[in-house]
This record gives sequence, structure tokens and C-alpha cells, in this order.
Amino acid sequence: MASFSLRIISSNRIFYEGPCRCLIVPAPDGERAILAHHEEMILALREGELRMQTEEGGEWSYAVISPGFCQVAHNRVTLLADTVERPEEIDAVRAQEALERAQEKMRQKQSIQEYHITQAALARALVRIRETEKFIH
Amino acid sequence: MAGLREIQSRIKSIQDTRKITNAMYMISSTKMKKARQALESTEPYFYALQSAMARIMRHVPELDNQYFEKEGETRSRIGLLVISGDKGLAGSYNHNVLKMAQQFLDDTDKEVELFVVGELGRQYFSGRGVHIEENFQYTAQHPTFSRARWIRETLLEKYQSGQIQEIHVIYTRMENSFLSETEDSMLLPLRKPSLAQIPANVYQEDFLLQPSPEEAIDRIVLSYMTGFIYGALVESFCSEQNARMVAMEAATNNADELLHDLGIMLNRARQAAITQEITEVCSGARAQKQKTNQAKEMQI
Repeated sequence: MASFSLRIISSNRIFYEGPCRCLIVPAPDGERAILAHHEEMILALREGELRMQTEEGGEWSYAVISPGFCQVAHNRVTLLADTVERPEEIDAVRAQEALERAQEKMRQKQSIQEYHITQAALARALVRIRETEKFIH
Repeated sequence: MAGLREIQSRIKSIQDTRKITNAMYMISSTKMKKARQALESTEPYFYALQSAMARIMRHVPELDNQYFEKEGETRSRIGLLVISGDKGLAGSYNHNVLKMAQQFLDDTDKEVELFVVGELGRQYFSGRGVHIEENFQYTAQHPTFSRARWIRETLLEKYQSGQIQEIHVIYTRMENSFLSETEDSMLLPLRKPSLAQIPANVYQEDFLLQPSPEEAIDRIVLSYMTGFIYGALVESFCSEQNARMVAMEAATNNADELLHDLGIMLNRARQAAITQEITEVCSGARAQKQKTNQAKEMQI
């Protein structure tokens, strides 16, 4: 089956560069799968789980991303996100601490600005924890 | 010729200074290595982000979005983010940043609100009586993503509430290990390239903006701003360390050269003193000898 070329770039490395058969990304209105020769599109991404299958019938690899966006044109996909991590790279203890910190802050009075930051931190921590629980038993 | 003692004390003081500059060179070169690594891993993201954004701006349909430039709109208040260093002794690094910021202030007739990263920049502007945002206390050391998020949040809040209508960033970009360039770029509002700037033979794709054009742009701009600010912080930090390393290396070399010259001068002075002493002793001895000879002749 046809494949497309994919580039996943996070702020501290090039996460993946190469062919891909199917890519499933978290969009604000639900998950979205991208196959070869997808229509030209710019897609905003939310924090969540990313799945990709590099070849037909191959293994799915998983990653956790924070908000970013993804560009599809001429059978090439470029995905840019603040952070992209494999589930095994996530520090569960740190994520748990971040979650508790964020929850603690949510209970306190804070400015709009602080609220946005805390809300984003909370969402990131939740996604990370969900992902580690899924893979590490 | 200067006295021996003066030359010696000068040599001593230069040696002391050299020790400091040499230590600073070593510290900044290790910091530089770390900063370089961070820069190398961020650079693909930073540039991909900018080109992706430029592409989006080329293809995006006409939208009435708060982040887009509106035609015929007058913007009277500008927010300026200046990224300077926390400490001096970094060659012309801080000077270049502050000069550009000052130029910006001098050239514009609009009201400018300053957001300064780095202690040195804050001191410079508060010393000149320029009003700077007080609650904006971020250091230039070890740029992190969370700091970029906070900076974005501060700037965006002002932008969205209409307190500022334009956001500029002045930072230093690392061209290569010898060259860094101070740059001023406009972050917001986003400007659509005029039709004349797009080459006619380029195929214009029709991008589908998902979930909706409005929401996609809102989310992408957030991500773009954080990414850009983070990239600018990393680039500036690396440039600062590089500038300091080069400056300190030059200072150490200069000290070595001075020490060499002063060493020669010291030896000359010492030799001259010895020669003079010998001459004095000799002439004294000769005079003594003549005296005794004369006395002997008198006796005869």
C-alpha cells in the first residue's frame, strides 16, 4: 500500500523522519487519521496520543505530543509540536508531581494568565500519566 | 625607562587579570558546549516552524482573525521583547542588542512598552528612565519551554486586551560559530505577503484548515509564538556564551602579549641596572687604585 513521507519535529529533536503508512493524530475535535495522498490540509493539534504505522501490517508506534500543528501537502506531512515523547521516555513520577502541582494551583485564586498556564500543564500531565499507565503495568 | 618595581607590579596585576579572564574563558566554553547542543537540537524546529508559518500565511484564505493584520488599521502601541544577557563582559553582544532596541525606540513615534529579558538590559533602560514592564522578570540563563510559555502568555494577554497592537522581538541569531546577528522581527500581527511577492509560476495549493480556519489559526498561533520565543531565547543564550568566550579568549591573548613585552622590558631594565652597578663599582675601584698609586708616587 502507498505510503507518504513524514517528518515529526519537536522543539528539542527531530523525532521521526521517513516513510509512513498511517498516522493518527489528536485534533481538537477528535482523532484524525492521515493516509497517503491525503488532501492538502493544515491541522491544529491538541495534546494527546499519536500513533503511526510505518509499513503495511507493521507495528504501531506510539508517542505523546503537546499542542502543535501538522501540514499535509504533496504527500508530505510535517508535524511540529512543542514536545514529542515515546511512552517509555516519560517520567511517570514527574508527571504525577506536575499533575498534583497543577491541581493544587487550580484550587487557588489565580489570574487569567496563570489559569491558562495551569490548565495547559494539567492537560499535559494527564495525557502523560494516561499513556504511561497504558504501557507500563 | 620605568623603574623595576613599577614594571614588576604591572606584571603582577596583568597576571591576576589574566587568571580571571582565563577562568571566564573556560567557564563560558563549557557553557557554550551545552548551549550549542541545545541550539543544534532546536534549530530544525525553529526554522521549520518559521517556514511552515510563512507557508500558512501564503495560503490562508482572507480571514478576520485577531492575529491578522488588518488593512488601514493604525497601531499606536507596540510591545517590544528585548532579549539581552544577565551579565556583561561578553564583547559587543549586549551592546548590539541594546543599540538596536534604542534605535527602535528613537525611530518610532508610537508608544512602546518594553519587556526585557536579562538583567543587563533592564539596568540599561531603567538607568535611562525608559519605562519597562516591572513584573517581567525573566533571566536569560538556561532557556526552558515553560519560560517561553509564560512570556507568550504575558504578551498575548496584553495583545488580546488591546493594550498593545504589535509585538516585536529583538534577539541575537547565531549565524555560525564566528558570526551572530542581532535581529528584529515582528511576531504579531501576522502579515499576509502581498500578491506581488508570490512568484506567478508557483502552484497555489488550497489548504483545508481543520477543525475550522478560525480555530486552527488560533491554536497554531499559540504554538508558533511559544516556539518562536523559545527558539529566540536559545539562539540568544548561545550567542551570549559564544561572544563571552571569544571576548575572554582575546583578553587572555592580549594579556599574554603584554606579559611578553613587559618581560622583555623588565629584563632590559634589570640588565641596565646591573651594568650601571658594575660600572659604578669599577670606576670606584679604579678611582681608589689611582688614589693609592698617587700616594705611592708621592712617597717616592
